[in-house]
Amino acid sequence: MNAVVEVSNLTKKFGSFTAVDNVSFSIEENAIHGLLGRNGAGKTTIMQLLTGQDFATSGDIRVFGQSPVENASVLQNLSFIKESQKYPEDFKPKHVLRSAPWFFPNWDADFADQLVEEFRLPTNRRIKKLSRGQLSAVGVIVGLASRAPLTFFDEPYLGLDAVARQLFYDRLLSDYAEHPRTVILSTHLIDEVSDLLEHVIVIDQGRIIINESADALRGSVSNVVGTSSAVDAFAAGREVLHREGIGGLASVTLSALSDADRAAARTAGLELSPVSLQQLIVRKTQVSEKEFELSA
Amino acid sequence: MTTMTAPVVTTGTLNRVMAVFRLQFVNPVTVLITPLLILLAIFAMNLAIWALIMANLDASADRAEVAEGFQWSGASTFIFFYMMVVAVQAINATFSFALGLSVTRRDYYLGTALGFIALSALISTILAVFAAIEEATGGWGLGGRMFTAIYFGDGTWYERYFIFFALLLFFFFTGSVAAAIFVRWKGIGLTAFLVALGFATVGLIALFTVTSAWDEVGAWFLTTGWTGSYAWSLVLTALAAVSGYFVLRKATPRG
Repeated sequence: MNAVVEVSNLTKKFGSFTAVDNVSFSIEENAIHGLLGRNGAGKTTIMQLLTGQDFATSGDIRVFGQSPVENASVLQNLSFIKESQKYPEDFKPKHVLRSAPWFFPNWDADFADQLVEEFRLPTNRRIKKLSRGQLSAVGVIVGLASRAPLTFFDEPYLGLDAVARQLFYDRLLSDYAEHPRTVILSTHLIDEVSDLLEHVIVIDQGRIIINESADALRGSVSNVVGTSSAVDAFAAGREVLHREGIGGLASVTLSALSDADRAAARTAGLELSPVSLQQLIVRKTQVSEKEFELSA
Repeated sequence: MTTMTAPVVTTGTLNRVMAVFRLQFVNPVTVLITPLLILLAIFAMNLAIWALIMANLDASADRAEVAEGFQWSGASTFIFFYMMVVAVQAINATFSFALGLSVTRRDYYLGTALGFIALSALISTILAVFAAIEEATGGWGLGGRMFTAIYFGDGTWYERYFIFFALLLFFFFTGSVAAAIFVRWKGIGLTAFLVALGFATVGLIALFTVTSAWDEVGAWFLTTGWTGSYAWSLVLTALAAVSGYFVLRKATPRG
């Protein structure tokens, strides 16, 4: 396995606000990674630092083994599609699609044409007259057709309808299968993309709180459901990430159950159910906030 | 786990710079077509005004006197100031976009600067051709002066071409600095810059006044001549061009 991105002790401050707080991680080649977290957690800042668009306050960033800042040989191999991308006001999508191939050596024009058709993008309409979804489609098409070895999608589909989002997931997955590359996808729609993700990085308040393979993460917590008394008896002494109850019934989210634990739960008349990636991240993020409050 | 040491593909510096150059012209409406159309409209309006004035004058002595006055035309100054606006707009609009296409700031600035130089050369050529026609036809048959106005010197066609070119470069690159300051430090930075520039100008005027140096300044321009004075503007232009790069080098795209 090769690391495409290696980050150590990365910090980014804006005045007194620390957006990224002493973060270290690496990103493996040819996998789809989810960079998840709440608004303002630091996701976009990290991506801007990795793509040389912003400058780190301290720490070290290696992309393809080199610093990305003002480094054309690194930047030419990456594509960064962000929700807030600015386009020249007098441009039409056709101007974007005409010029983008000059900057991406792997650009696939046929694929771009196909995507324009599928996303029903009006290429001859002024950018500022496009709907929010159509504007997002411009970015998604550039991000997919550029076929950069390292592709970042930062909330790429604001305003896209469910059909268009599914189209994006389908095209991303099929093109990724034919042309393996490293994809970093940042999104709030965690459950929608959870089948796509092979690796998950969760960031909260500028710190990485989860950095695991999606499979390991899914196995790391379980929901235990049953009568309140049985659930509480079983949960006693374990780490409870979340508890909710209705009447005499209760459901708890517990971390890492062994096979013996699972068997014990079943004999106690409890039901085990998997936790969705979204729920899991919500639970873990809440826990980190509690810990943060306690340590503060 | 090993670290990848070599990126997958790279192209040469020239290719990358030329890609940015082409980006500045991918939609030529704003940078070229609109200003040329406005210039043509102003020219047509001037033709009409010259014709009206001349039609109302009978004595040829009066006509000669009026034609003398036409040399102070400011009609073509529009194109120079407009190019400053083009520079500001182009950098403000394409900087974030180009960085979104994984361009380095260095390649961006070089490609954009080349684009401005090419635009200056092209517009200078158009202006010089119009100036030559204006001269050959005795001011379009009306004694009119727009492209041979007094500020464009009294030299040969190539001296006039040089003056157009130098002036356009000056406006393009002062526009570049202003745009770079705006992109990096937003409106507040640009305001601070303009205020500082205002103080510097007033300071310079005060200096010349206090030292009673205005005669010497005037004498310097007289001995340097039209072409020579414009040639000196290239020093300021180069200074602006280099400053623009250093300002933009640490700018971050908005949004």
